Amino acid sequence: MKRLATVVVLCALLAVGCAHGKQSASGPTPSDKPAQAPASVQTAQKSTEPGTEAPGSPAIATGAGKDDLDFMAETPSAETATIADPIEPFNRAMFQFNDRLYFWVLKPVSQGYNVIVPEPARVSVSNFFYNLRYPVRGVSCILQIDFECFVIESVRFIVNTTLGIAGLFDPASHDETLRKQDRDLGQTMGIYGVGPGFYIVWPVLGPSSPRDSVGLVGDFFLYPISYLNPWYVWLGVRSYQEVNATSLTIGDYEVFKEAAIDPYVSMRNAWVQYRQKKVEERGSREELKAPPGAPKY
Amino acid sequence: MKCMKPARSLILGLTLLLLTLFSMPARAAAPIDTVKSDVNRVLEVLRNKALKEEIKREKLRTIYGDMFDQVELSKWSLGRNWNKLTEAQRQEFVPLFRQVLEKAYADKILSYTDEKILYDREITLSSTRVEVKTRIVTKSKEIPIDYRVVQGGGTWKVYDVVIENVSLVQNYRSQFTDILSNNTPEQLLEILRKKVKDRKS
Repeated sequence: MKRLATVVVLCALLAVGCAHGKQSASGPTPSDKPAQAPASVQTAQKSTEPGTEAPGSPAIATGAGKDDLDFMAETPSAETATIADPIEPFNRAMFQFNDRLYFWVLKPVSQGYNVIVPEPARVSVSNFFYNLRYPVRGVSCILQIDFECFVIESVRFIVNTTLGIAGLFDPASHDETLRKQDRDLGQTMGIYGVGPGFYIVWPVLGPSSPRDSVGLVGDFFLYPISYLNPWYVWLGVRSYQEVNATSLTIGDYEVFKEAAIDPYVSMRNAWVQYRQKKVEERGSREELKAPPGAPKY
Repeated sequence: MKCMKPARSLILGLTLLLLTLFSMPARAAAPIDTVKSDVNRVLEVLRNKALKEEIKREKLRTIYGDMFDQVELSKWSLGRNWNKLTEAQRQEFVPLFRQVLEKAYADKILSYTDEKILYDREITLSSTRVEVKTRIVTKSKEIPIDYRVVQGGGTWKVYDVVIENVSLVQNYRSQFTDILSNNTPEQLLEILRKKVKDRKS
């Protein structure tokens, strides 16, 4: 299945929701305590019930493997991502707001922009802004005590700023060893054992959590664009960045909504899974292991 | 007679050996190869400009049926809630869920335009389940797509797709769990029926 929308959609969502492009949604922490709100229901119950439930009945023969009961336990390969959602009514309202914002403002503007500006140029603009976020990634690498990451990101930045003409192009990506390092401060905090807390949907910024929101603030101060004066110039440039980003992914949010039975829950879960994985991948380094007893994410 | 014993065990042993050899699945291909060949079949259909869209959809449906284990996918998406459904409800749920997915993703898949697909490696999840890691390289980014396959009857079939670390069945499970905490299975089926009907026009 090629362009399965969900991911590109996710990125679109993050772009739509999060004013800072690929935002630092801090890793979702699967809450160990059973969720208070009815929304976050998947508790990480590891115990497989000893065959009390009837596995796939003969009428629906699966032909699948012997661990018929596996699907009832939580996915063994990864803990199910959950997050508490104590302010769900507020979040749902913000979700609706962002939804309207996309359909009524962001999308029409992006579509108009699409017509005027050809795709290669828009990709270059996107590269430009991505390149400028180097301090966010670089500092995160250092804080995560991942020097390889820092070196890679620094080389990428230098190569793309010079050869890539101020970051408009991405020659660094031609080198397989210089892969993009997707780091942010929220993820950094997660690695050090800070749990995300609970789910918040900010207007305009989109899905987040207390930890990730703090991360967002930190990232803001590391992002050069943030220092543009006066404030309306900054606002203009940031909005342009969002419009440009959206123009590259129009249609993805729509596919996401179409695929979802309950878009709000779907987005919450997708975001939680995404952030959790982001922290998990980094957290596997021994020296970064949180003290025992601290939440894993 | 005593001297027949060794001969008999030899025959027995040979028979067992032969039986084992013949009972090995004909298509014992590695998971990564299975996924690759299925994806290539899809790409062939998509790249064939001569085909009309309706024909393409039909062909893709066939490939989907071969590539995916819709029942496993349904089970994983419902998780424990699978047991809340009666047999009749399950019979309805499985094809209905497939239709929801088709409605959501068919257009997107049909709009594929020659992105490159890279096959990275396999990870064993359990004795019968494997994860095949791939990447799609688009103009502006690289998207990791992992196929989780389960073995049944000698072939590997997909029961979950993980796109940029977001598992499809986990995502649906969160939604179904949420819905079923306030609704009966019958109501869930009604929601799905409406969803499929809505855009059928």
